[in-house]
Amino acid sequence: MTARRDSGTQSGAKAAGARADGAERRLSLDLHESLRNIQAEVGYSPDIKVREIRLGPAPGIQAAAVHLSGLTDAQLLNEFVMGALLQNAEELTDNPVDELPKLLLGRALEVGEAAIAEDWNETLIAVLSGDTAILLDGCTVAIICGTRGGEWRSVSEPTSQLVVRGPKDGFVESIATNISLVRRRLRSPKLRLESMKIGTETQTTVVLMYVKGFASDDLVGEVRKRLEKVAIDEVLESGFIEELIQDKTITPFPTIYNTERPDVVVGNLLEGRVAILVDGTPFVLILPAVFTQFFQSAEDYSQRFDIAILMRVVRYLSFIVLILGPSVYIALTTYHYEMLPTTLLINLLAQRENVPFPAFVEAMLMEIAFEFLREAGVRMPRVIGQTVSVVGALILGSAVVEAGIITPIMVIVVALTGIASFAIPAYNMAIAGRLIRFAFLLLAGMFGFYGITLGLIVMIAHMNSLRSFGIPYLSPFVPLSVRGQKDTLLRLPMWMMNPGKSPQQMRAELPKSMQITTGHEAVLSPAIKKNEEMDRKREGGNSNEPE
Amino acid sequence: MGSVRIGLSQFFSIALLFELGTALVVNLGILSGKDAWVSILLGGLAGILVFLGYAYLYWKHPDLTFTGYTTKLLGKAIGVPVSIAYIVLYLNLAARDMRDGGTMLAMATMHHTPLFILSTLMILSSAYVLHKGIEVLTRTSLVFLMIVLLIGLFSTIMLMLSGSINLNRLLPVMETGIQPVLESVVRQSYMFPFGEMVCFTMLMPYLSNSRKGPWVIMGAMLTAALLLAYTMALNISVLGADIVERSPLPLMPAISKISISDFIQRVDIFVVMVLIIGVFFKMSVFFAAALIGISEVFKLPYRKMLYPAALIILLTSMVDARSFIEHLDEGGRLLYTVYPFFMIVVPAVLILVTAVKSHFSERRPD
Repeated sequence: MTARRDSGTQSGAKAAGARADGAERRLSLDLHESLRNIQAEVGYSPDIKVREIRLGPAPGIQAAAVHLSGLTDAQLLNEFVMGALLQNAEELTDNPVDELPKLLLGRALEVGEAAIAEDWNETLIAVLSGDTAILLDGCTVAIICGTRGGEWRSVSEPTSQLVVRGPKDGFVESIATNISLVRRRLRSPKLRLESMKIGTETQTTVVLMYVKGFASDDLVGEVRKRLEKVAIDEVLESGFIEELIQDKTITPFPTIYNTERPDVVVGNLLEGRVAILVDGTPFVLILPAVFTQFFQSAEDYSQRFDIAILMRVVRYLSFIVLILGPSVYIALTTYHYEMLPTTLLINLLAQRENVPFPAFVEAMLMEIAFEFLREAGVRMPRVIGQTVSVVGALILGSAVVEAGIITPIMVIVVALTGIASFAIPAYNMAIAGRLIRFAFLLLAGMFGFYGITLGLIVMIAHMNSLRSFGIPYLSPFVPLSVRGQKDTLLRLPMWMMNPGKSPQQMRAELPKSMQITTGHEAVLSPAIKKNEEMDRKREGGNSNEPE
Repeated sequence: MGSVRIGLSQFFSIALLFELGTALVVNLGILSGKDAWVSILLGGLAGILVFLGYAYLYWKHPDLTFTGYTTKLLGKAIGVPVSIAYIVLYLNLAARDMRDGGTMLAMATMHHTPLFILSTLMILSSAYVLHKGIEVLTRTSLVFLMIVLLIGLFSTIMLMLSGSINLNRLLPVMETGIQPVLESVVRQSYMFPFGEMVCFTMLMPYLSNSRKGPWVIMGAMLTAALLLAYTMALNISVLGADIVERSPLPLMPAISKISISDFIQRVDIFVVMVLIIGVFFKMSVFFAAALIGISEVFKLPYRKMLYPAALIILLTSMVDARSFIEHLDEGGRLLYTVYPFFMIVVPAVLILVTAVKSHFSERRPD
């Protein structure tokens, strides 16, 4: 916490300095003028609270504490700032006013975080962030007390990327809580945080997080450089940052991973990646991200490795079904029907008998209807969520078949692609697949398998041209790296993923004598037992002989 | 050359895919009847020998393309026209390849789609990939080589399981002596597809490892020769030499023999996929070679001539011949009249010049 705080004020000051066009503005010597200036700057906002006090024996020194109600922790403010100030300040007021801030900081204030701010903008931003500024009459500096608090959503289970087995806590909107969630899992002094403020109006805290020695310095430097270049008014979500720092924007494929799960962040940090936390959103960015990463789930590592491989294969398959399902169906039924088994073909043709549309139009209609349903399902108030599924799935699905507009098998195909899109753990990759699906639909409708094959070539070429912070998007498949295959399509056992360690070093193995046997040798089969006894006797006899 | 460096595995895959290209589906070396596979193997060995010559030129000039060292060795007056002739050759080869592919595709499945539309789609995809760069082309080839090999493996297993393979159809080997085999090697299989490797002289400066690179490409050629010979042997053992001889795309009827309990049948769409992938990569390599040549000779940025060159290839492929028969006939004649000049005579002259020059320049310091 302290590390973040320190670097936070530093770069905060930097950002604010840049905002004031280089000209440093200071507080006025006169307390009331300073207060008026602050009030004027925020437009006499009613939630700015100014409490004027006098320090020391009468007449005392005029002082004022400025804070925003709702953003401050009231208890902290009352007990450790105001209470401490009024109690402890008495003996200090004899000193000259210029030295007073330092003395108050050192001897009076009981609050954990406090610093002296000399700059006007820094003071203002601190107040707007929920800190309390203490201003003294006749003094051009302010004391900033860390009293940020207020109401946040408490830590709860993430709404995306769910797991059956694994930690259930997810990030929240408060960046301090999010950092603590990561720190709690990674108690390494090598974990480094760099804080900066992005957004000229929102002044959002953005924290760059990496593990020293794991993440390459080039990568960290590049991320830092790109973050510093970001010039935007508002940062309301990590998506704003993502769009501005990614390598290339003209692509449906995401090149930066995002997650709500602290365990995923820690795992990725230890694999040498960099995380970017943005205040006000539970979604943390992880980069660089390659294609295979979007098909991994935190649960792959808590299940047995063979099960995990199966789950991964299912996810890749579902992606293929998502982008190619309807288009292959169209290509098969309109261009290459000779490939279908005869009975199935007869069945299909019988269904198509009464349907007025060609398969392509049919598929397009159904896919668009399905997109409506999904979008409605996501945005709608929860209370009427049931209605959409009933109306959409049951009524629309069956009525459209009964009305003879769509063939039942097309409903099956569309439903299958819909389900396949939910099997991909990363939502942004699923959206990319949904978009590409329409392109393939068009190609298959016009050119059959010819269009699909060329479309695949172009898609893979496009993916090959993508890079995420210098890492080829399709690595480790292209360029091929055998070493990289350990945790992509496959998920090898833990001891195989950590080179340099033998299985014995990594897992506790019982000594040979305690290992479980079938029991067959010793107990169940008298013949073996007899043989063993005879062997023992013979050996015993041999060793006894010399005596 | 730019800072782009292409790894060995990617060069291997693009070379292998280039060689398999259209050759995989047509009746290669069929002049020698059921010994076509022997003819392909011999052709492959001859092709590797020819490629050794290109490799020699590359080792002597590791940073230059073919047009680069032609101009350097023969001087501007001769070098530039020769380079332009090569650019025309590559454009023509790309166009012929696309015509091949488009017509075969129209024969195989797309009976009603106009050839022009099929070709346009193909050249547009190729232009897109080349717009992304040669590195992207070679990387993409790695993925599609895997797909082609998987399809090959699947088809082989299925053919075995359906019991359509009769190895007796391959016997006796060289019934009428080695004469027809050698004849088909000279007239067909060493030029197509192995002599066409001449266009790799334009790509080789991108190799990340100049010492091992040509050997890797030769490895790819050898693998291609083995795979092609294997495919041809498979075709003949399934269909018999007689049908293979008369079929323009023997792999299609061979694969369509696959039938497993009436469920897996008529999987010839896989052959069409292999055909599309092969034509695409072969054409794209020629296209890329032509583009590199144009940008070198005329000192133009590589991407600037991308779409004009695409248009030239598209139109050439359309006006190349009035019918597919004429196209094939023309191709057959080009194979032993024009191509040897470009693929053997000119490189041989260059090798001679290089050898003489390096011989004298080495002596000078003494």
